[in-house]
Amino acid sequence: MAMSRKVLSVMLLCALALGMSCSGLASAGKPVTIRFISLAWQTQAIEAVKAVVAEWNAANPSIQVQYVQMDWGSIHDYMITSFEAKDVPDIFHYESIPIIDFGKRGYLTDLATLISDDLRTDVMPGAWETVTGSNGAIYGIPFLWESLIVLYNKDLFAEAGVKPPTIDNPWTWEEMRQAARLLTKDRHGDGQVDQFGVAFGLKSPVNRVFNLSMGFGGYYFYDQNGKPVIGVGDAEKELLRILLDMMYVEKTASLDGVGLSGPELFPGFFAGKYAMLPGIGVWARQQIVESAPAGFKWGVLPPLKAKTQAQGSTTQTLSIPSAAKHKKEAMQFLEFLANRENMAKLALGDWLFPTRASSLDLPAFRKEEGGWNIATESARHLTLAPWQKVMGFQEFKSKVATPLFQQLFANRISLDEFARRMETEGNRVLQRYQ
Amino acid sequence: MPSLVPIMLLSVLPLARGIYLGFTDYTLGAEGPHFNFMGNHLYMLSDYQFWESFRIGAAWTLAVTTGEIVLGLGLALLLNAGLPLQGLARVLILVPWAMPPVIKGLVWRLVYHPDAGLLNRALTSLGLTRQPINWLSDFAWALPAVIIVGIWTGLPLTTVVLLGGLQTIPVELKEAAALDGASLWQQFRYVTLPLLIPVLVAISSLQFMWNFNSFGLVYVLTEGGPAGRTRLPMLFAYEEAFRYGNFGYAAALGNVMVMVVGIALLYYVRSQYLSTKG
Amino acid sequence: MKRNKTTARAVMFAILVVYIVFLAFPLVWLVSTSFKPAVEIFTRQATIFPRRLTLENYRDALGEEQILRSVGNSFKVSTLSALATLGIAMPGAYVLARRQTSVNKLVAGWILTSQIFPTILIIVPLFLLLGRASLVNTHLGLIGVYVVWSLPFVLWMLQGYVRGVPVELEEAAAVDGANNLQIVSHIVAPLVLPGLVATGLYAFINAWNEFFFGLVLLKDPDLMTIQVHLARFRGIEGLARWGPLAAGSIIATIPSLIVFAFLQRGLVSGLLSGSVKQ
Repeated sequence: MAMSRKVLSVMLLCALALGMSCSGLASAGKPVTIRFISLAWQTQAIEAVKAVVAEWNAANPSIQVQYVQMDWGSIHDYMITSFEAKDVPDIFHYESIPIIDFGKRGYLTDLATLISDDLRTDVMPGAWETVTGSNGAIYGIPFLWESLIVLYNKDLFAEAGVKPPTIDNPWTWEEMRQAARLLTKDRHGDGQVDQFGVAFGLKSPVNRVFNLSMGFGGYYFYDQNGKPVIGVGDAEKELLRILLDMMYVEKTASLDGVGLSGPELFPGFFAGKYAMLPGIGVWARQQIVESAPAGFKWGVLPPLKAKTQAQGSTTQTLSIPSAAKHKKEAMQFLEFLANRENMAKLALGDWLFPTRASSLDLPAFRKEEGGWNIATESARHLTLAPWQKVMGFQEFKSKVATPLFQQLFANRISLDEFARRMETEGNRVLQRYQ
Repeated sequence: MPSLVPIMLLSVLPLARGIYLGFTDYTLGAEGPHFNFMGNHLYMLSDYQFWESFRIGAAWTLAVTTGEIVLGLGLALLLNAGLPLQGLARVLILVPWAMPPVIKGLVWRLVYHPDAGLLNRALTSLGLTRQPINWLSDFAWALPAVIIVGIWTGLPLTTVVLLGGLQTIPVELKEAAALDGASLWQQFRYVTLPLLIPVLVAISSLQFMWNFNSFGLVYVLTEGGPAGRTRLPMLFAYEEAFRYGNFGYAAALGNVMVMVVGIALLYYVRSQYLSTKG
Repeated sequence: MKRNKTTARAVMFAILVVYIVFLAFPLVWLVSTSFKPAVEIFTRQATIFPRRLTLENYRDALGEEQILRSVGNSFKVSTLSALATLGIAMPGAYVLARRQTSVNKLVAGWILTSQIFPTILIIVPLFLLLGRASLVNTHLGLIGVYVVWSLPFVLWMLQGYVRGVPVELEEAAAVDGANNLQIVSHIVAPLVLPGLVATGLYAFINAWNEFFFGLVLLKDPDLMTIQVHLARFRGIEGLARWGPLAAGSIIATIPSLIVFAFLQRGLVSGLLSGSVKQ
């Protein structure tokens, strides 16, 4: 900002001194300003983004990047309004699912021909898939991966004599369940459990359950003559049965998590109320580092194994609206923002994974501190979830899947009723979009 | 009067456009709106989820408005009674109004937190509950829980308006009634209340509209859950427009809401005025 | 008898305290959180008084991110939009109150529709309109939006108030050769001053607390309002950078509470009379 004001005052002086004659000169040297909307919000992430932007601005006086921080809760409404009013930022940060939808509506620039070979080949194919439309258009640069991990309390594990598994020999869900039994305790002897083996943060259940279900081969969406159809069979039910049994039969899972997000369970986790938190986003580790009491010992477990360790995932993206004025310059900056070092910096700042294979190989992602070595292991099992690109998924999620999951996890409907209604009500919604 | 023109334009044109969209098939990103007459309204008839949310919205609006009026009247009476620290109290009760909206929802999520929340801690330490209650995801408690937050936010403005109303009532009237042997309750019932009716009608109908139109706070608290128990109709319309992109349909929902609420309000305002005159 | 009265007052005071606790408790939480280190904030054993006091949150909130500038912007926008609302509403209210025509019904219909129709659907056409007038990314455009937004309530309350002013005063002035505008500004406006203070305060707070228009209409970070600034401390999944958010909220709340404290009296004798006499 200081920069542009300086330019402005120089122009003013210039105009005063030379009259009209220098105005042409001044406008030729006027830098292009790129408006870049970032959603980084964790302390370290904000610093990382700012540092990269400052570095670019210092090196490129002719293309100045204006960094605008926005929050995840506003970005969707903001972008829709901007698109409809055709008054858009040059670059915005968001995530793969809505990006595909925006792309289909014609709001975004297809980056396929603009991307450098280096970026194209280095970013992992699975990440590219998350931003590629059915017509082959690429609607954004996927730059951060998110995976779901299991956090555990080291002291409680040691006390119960439970040994955490290794990367080479990960737990199956069944083994996790047995461990949870050992870790569930009535410490006060008043007939009430006050230490639970696990707590599942199920506030926004759909993406979480769908992503984890892929390890069981439960995909929820199937292709029928080229049309997506919802199916809830044995593979889908398997994970749900485990969750329900742990909550309501074995009572090794606390019910606190039913209406909370994973990280909202942290106060109880820090206080030793839950020994494990499965299904937490990797980024949340930064919150532990910042707010856990001194002496709290925690670790990351390798991804749980169902049939496989596969996990559906979305990516965080950087896109250029089709109405943007400076696409070429915006792309130049994006290449810089997503180069090997910078992508690594951004990922480390947000405690997420870079999508470039070469960045992920950097030693910072292999260190033991902060659970990076095990967390990074989970990145190897990320795959594209089939439901990501289904038209009408948002409406299905909000009107059918979320309410049904909430009833299921509150134990108000049976698993069979859940499955039946997901199929009939879900497919009815999808028809609206065909 | 001429200064009203640009301002009215700024208000009326967008409104007119919004109402018009309700009769079109416009979706986000589409070429342009196509007139489809009553198509949206026909689809709406079979949209049972909308009517369900409308029912919830009616319950929410009635409960919050009633709560605001009853509690606001009580508070206004207390603040008008010349109790100690009156000036300080009058400022403190405005906190919910003055606080940044961004933080309101977050604070209340903390209050209702099943594990670390203020409410559960208070209840268990008083021995009222043994197990913490998961307020915002409990099927029975979620709606009452958000209604309390709704009342909390709307109470200051209501109180201030009613307090103002109370202060215009001449003290002599009450004194005269007291001399005639009227009890405090009778003074309130036969002197204060009738004179307050116009203010009550004005503020309750405004609050009714505002409450019906609100959803942001509830969205932060529950996202409409559990299982749609707190999905207010405005949230429903918002999701149709901004999440699924069905702009035309969302506008049609808006039109219907204006009609229904408008008719209800006109009826209410008219009957209230009639009753005061009679 | 006297003893009875003292007990009654004690009970009333106790109830008032309950009210204040219910309405103002977040302020206590905000203040205490704003002085706590991160470790003490999101925990089961949260205490009212920080175990370790820190000013770091204020340093974070005040530091890098130009919060003071955004407070200044908000102050400018809120004050100007409140004044503009009053400037427009006052003559408008006068006309509405003095000439009973079908325009009154039209205005009532407009108020109703504008308060109930989903705001979110009006934003895009409004944006386009402002864009055409080159008012996007200016404080002036934002002020216009806020004026439009507060106008219905202010207009409605003020016209009721004007009706309380005896027509004879104006007639006398008219005989002396004053025109309509002079009558409004020199005779009516001073008489309804409390009403102007009250409704102006409403318009001020409305603008001060508004978030989404501010976010969408202003692009230049230097123009940003305080609510937009505060939203940046919000995270995902119910989390936030609690410390700086609390500190920032204190910075954003305290000014309006101080304004309240000063205007409290005007506020009180204002709103009331407005509606009482309509």
